[in-house]
Amino acid sequence: MTTAVSRPPLARSSDRMIAGVCAGLANHLGWPVQMVRIGMVVAALAGGAGVAFYAWLWIMVPTADERAKRNARQPASPIAPAVSDLAGAGLPPGPAAARPGVPAGSWRTRFPGMPYGKEILLGAGLLLAGGILIARLFGLDVPLGTLIPVAAILGGAAIAWMQLDETRRAGIVDKTKADQAGGWARLAAGLGLVVAGVLLMVSGSGSWEQTWLALLASVAVLGGVALVLLPWGLKFWRDLEAERAGRVRATERAEIAAHLHDSVLQTLALIQRRAGNEHDVVRLARAQERELRGWLYRDPGRETGQLSDALQAAAAEVEDSLGHAVDVVTVGDCALTERLEAMVQAAREAMLNAARHGGGAVSVYLEVTDDAAEVFVKDRGPGFDPGSIPADRLGVRESMIGRMRRHGGTATIASSPDGTEVRLRLPLAAAAGTNGAAGTNGTAGTNGEDTQ
Amino acid sequence: MSNQPVAGGGAGTPSGATRVVIVDDHAIFRSGLKADLDPDIVVVGEAGTVEEAVAVIAAVRPDVVLLDVHLPGGLGGGGRDVLAGSAPLLGSTRFLALSVSDAAEDVVSVIRAGARGYVTKTISGAEISDAVRRVAGGDAVFSPRLAGFVLDAFGTAPADIADNELDRLSARELEVMRLIARGYSYKEVAKELFISIKTVETHVSAVLRKLQLSSRHELTRWAAERRLL
Repeated sequence: MTTAVSRPPLARSSDRMIAGVCAGLANHLGWPVQMVRIGMVVAALAGGAGVAFYAWLWIMVPTADERAKRNARQPASPIAPAVSDLAGAGLPPGPAAARPGVPAGSWRTRFPGMPYGKEILLGAGLLLAGGILIARLFGLDVPLGTLIPVAAILGGAAIAWMQLDETRRAGIVDKTKADQAGGWARLAAGLGLVVAGVLLMVSGSGSWEQTWLALLASVAVLGGVALVLLPWGLKFWRDLEAERAGRVRATERAEIAAHLHDSVLQTLALIQRRAGNEHDVVRLARAQERELRGWLYRDPGRETGQLSDALQAAAAEVEDSLGHAVDVVTVGDCALTERLEAMVQAAREAMLNAARHGGGAVSVYLEVTDDAAEVFVKDRGPGFDPGSIPADRLGVRESMIGRMRRHGGTATIASSPDGTEVRLRLPLAAAAGTNGAAGTNGTAGTNGEDTQ
Repeated sequence: MSNQPVAGGGAGTPSGATRVVIVDDHAIFRSGLKADLDPDIVVVGEAGTVEEAVAVIAAVRPDVVLLDVHLPGGLGGGGRDVLAGSAPLLGSTRFLALSVSDAAEDVVSVIRAGARGYVTKTISGAEISDAVRRVAGGDAVFSPRLAGFVLDAFGTAPADIADNELDRLSARELEVMRLIARGYSYKEVAKELFISIKTVETHVSAVLRKLQLSSRHELTRWAAERRLL
């Protein structure tokens, strides 16, 4: 195989016209897909070389999914078997443990006796074709009258068997895929080719009349067989559907069980062990609550990497490190930029201070409007004595007020015996540098000095 | 806190105590909450399901019902079903919703069903007692998160004269909501805005009314996006 370093691996793409060979090849070589496709068509016209090459790649190159499965064949969740045992689902432990790994099994795992069956078959076929061509070159009379039907049968069988290609099969079973119609068409074409080939062979390439008659008879037989087998087929199909639905449910439950096992059960175990330490228990419960809440109420449609996410992450970090509740309320949102990142850092500093020196819960409020983003961090501590700021607190002040000013925003700190509130404001419009700096000077002079 | 139970708030309680029914399906939580409440708040009934709750509330006619949002029984709507079942009493009995969840759909749906306030279960005993007295006095109780939802739903721009009265918050109401969202108590809001606590309460009640009654397009859309209505 031509596997160069620093190239994406050769795999059939899901962006397919026929089997995704050209797209995969283009992806691997770094060429435009259209070019590869045109090249393939031209090569196909040049004596069928393109067709042979295409077929060879189709059979030899796995799809991206297959490749991924082959590379990482292991249970989706290593703890899933343990959890399903724990849940007492009535599944015998053996199959339950084996199940997660197996359903995606490919040809190779199911037929361990013939690891390279496809490749060997193909090689034999190609050798045969080559031999025939050479024989013809040397003037030997090859009976094309029998060869063509045989080729038709083999081709038809190949087309029909392509249905068993893993992704195709999944596509047929999975009703939602539009691929289904194509699958049936392929199956019908394969069947037609095989039947025609067989007829040609049996009737000895006789007259059309005979062929038609035979065709009619065979269609009648096939229809009769179909009529007899239809109830079984339907029953089988329904069973398959039911089993599939059951598997989807089982997968969902396994996911939930895995999540609960990883998070809630672990936390509960930790809480039992630390029952004596109230501070630790509260911290654990709080962190677990936050995590579970995030998992339950996450909106899959929502964009990630927003300003509110960053602020909430910062609040969670403060909560975890200091064991102090930080409640975040957000109104509006916007994408996180470098300047807003600076504001989140300043807010984080404010939260740390509030959690360290304030009492009670820390309230954080974020409001994003068209003009500006504002963050308020409030605690219920005893306030500050302007005279008693230690020298090392200058760094903290710098990291809030200085940081906001550098990014064209303002930081105000209002402290009273009832608590302290840090107000951060960052204008969102680009031309906000001048008034932002002026505002900072004014506020920092009056309020900022007498704080941490 | 400094506020007194409002005179006349506790109908049929000569001592001035506030009569409360606790509706929650967890007995441990009910007993814990009962122990946490201040002595001037008397628990006169408990219920664990929607049906029990409707029956108990109709029988004892409490001043305030502490209502868990998630309850078994009824039509599956939890606290909302209790509110619907107690609709004739909504004039005399006030409902304060309690929940472990602060998801928008839980909060806004019980408020729109008639609850006068919303607090999370992690709230302290003193805070919940304060909230009960406030609700008994006819005021609304807004947590910072509920204020955040209100600002999110109604938008942060003040009302014009031309707007439908129910559809937008006035500039003053917005200010009050913002301060509550920032974690200010009613007292602190009053101090910050140089108004009386009573005025703050009036503004909050007005916002509650708008949240309950508004059929504003944006609110509907906001709720629909969050699958609330």
